[in-house]
Amino acid sequence: MRLDEGRVALFLVLPTLIILIGLAIFPLGWAGALAFRVENLFRPDIGKWVGLRNFKYLLTDDTFWKSIRLTLIWCVCVVSIQMTLGFLFALMLDTRARVVGLLRTLIVIPVFISPIAMGLTWQFMFEPVTGVINYFLELVGLPGGTWHTATDTALMAVMIADIWQWTPFVTLILLAGMQGISPEVVEAARLDRVRGWKYLTNIVIPLIWPVVMVVLLLRLVDSIRIFDLVFVITRGGPGTATLVASVYDFTIFQAGRLGVMAAYGFLILIVINLVVILFLRLLYRQEKEARQVQKA
Amino acid sequence: MRSPIRKTMDIVAVFLVAIYLAPIYWIALTSVKPMSDINSKKPVWLFDPTIEHYAEAFVRFEFGKALLNSSIIVFSATFITMILALIAAYALARMRLRGADVLALFILSLRFMPAVVIAMPFYLMFLKFSLIDSHIGMIVVYVGYGLPFAVWIMRGFLLDLPKDIEEAARLDGLGWISIIRRIILPLSGPGIAVTAIFTFVFNWNEYLFALYLTQADAVTLPIQIAKMVDAYTVLWGTISASVVMQLVPMVVVVFLLQRHMIRGLALGAVK
Repeated sequence: MRLDEGRVALFLVLPTLIILIGLAIFPLGWAGALAFRVENLFRPDIGKWVGLRNFKYLLTDDTFWKSIRLTLIWCVCVVSIQMTLGFLFALMLDTRARVVGLLRTLIVIPVFISPIAMGLTWQFMFEPVTGVINYFLELVGLPGGTWHTATDTALMAVMIADIWQWTPFVTLILLAGMQGISPEVVEAARLDRVRGWKYLTNIVIPLIWPVVMVVLLLRLVDSIRIFDLVFVITRGGPGTATLVASVYDFTIFQAGRLGVMAAYGFLILIVINLVVILFLRLLYRQEKEARQVQKA
Repeated sequence: MRSPIRKTMDIVAVFLVAIYLAPIYWIALTSVKPMSDINSKKPVWLFDPTIEHYAEAFVRFEFGKALLNSSIIVFSATFITMILALIAAYALARMRLRGADVLALFILSLRFMPAVVIAMPFYLMFLKFSLIDSHIGMIVVYVGYGLPFAVWIMRGFLLDLPKDIEEAARLDGLGWISIIRRIILPLSGPGIAVTAIFTFVFNWNEYLFALYLTQADAVTLPIQIAKMVDAYTVLWGTISASVVMQLVPMVVVVFLLQRHMIRGLALGAVK
């Protein structure tokens, strides 16, 4: 007697599916419903359906638009710098030298440390009067900064911490892509005397492009929903200087306004989904083109 | 035959990486500095190392309780996640299941969900079942949080095994339980280790859910450490000692994984 394999397989996936539906899809639906209700954490008696009022409220709220603008600036700056630096580091580490193997291990440490621990570490180093960063700046004759303590520099300070923490992630994945380039290709390029800049732009970059796109996607999604690091260093302040989307959403929760909070959360979710879909499309099209090139 | 340019670059790389990790040495150094030297304007490099900050973290800030909470919650959640993920990934990667790819993508897509969106419904649900600030509640949340990535990355490892091992083993007369026990499990050892460690790391560092769902009894390490800043005077010595204690396990993890980790990250990201 043999069981139908498909059924057994489905039975094996089922626990995971049920749990994910219960712990992700169901809460998501709940949040979705809340977005169309007035619901106050401290006044459970006043809950009622209000249609699009929460969304309308957000769209006329200046702080909302400011948080959107900050998140946008955050994503553009942080992700572009991380991608550039990460790529340069990967090039530097893409060699067979023994010690570089150890470097690869060391450089990845920041990725594994909690943003809370790293955020506090940076905050400590940023301290304007006693901090070690200003000390070294002044030592080489540069003026020290106000970093996270002043409105005009706070965003930059938190960005530096985030860039420091996640650049190694980009490096590592691009490195894996570079080392996946087959030895035949490398050898052929060598025989054809394709070297230096040309080797980089004609061989390396096209071959690792899909990997680049995936890292870009992961970094973008994580940047859109950035929370921990900003929250621990500045709580969104001073004033609203670093009030990125998720942090602002959390302050709405603290004010007890669950409906508005859910509405904002949903907007974030929609943006993330759009980004993911866009990238998957691009990737899919590239793959198709690559296949056609191979056929030709 | 490496060119001199390449050699120079390797040396530069060593220096750059050493400088890059400076924040970590700095916090480690601070954690053993006497109080009076921490806030001096000029960094103090020579001092009598002390463990007073570590003691302070335990005595004044209940570091021990948070450590215990984090350990209970994270170990249990990782264990449960791994069992579920192994079973599901095996079915998705190595059995004839129609729509397996779509299912796998659906599971992965949940990884992109912003925690801000679902943390609040959890809060309301937990209020109802009085699971707020409980270990069980946090374990449940972390299972849901880690599962999508664990299934995805485990599936990647299992897809990498040669295609026909099961069939070959079946021809040799092995039943499927012994196929899994004697062939698949040993072969996917590194994959299991990597997946478990990644799950562990994510949970160990998680902050947002814990911020919503714990108050006093079940606070985890990141929460407890962040709380120390709220104290009236910011005690950087105690904070750095706690930070070091929280990050040391992660550094150990990085060294344990070494090569596998790169493959794991690449698998999780790319496949």
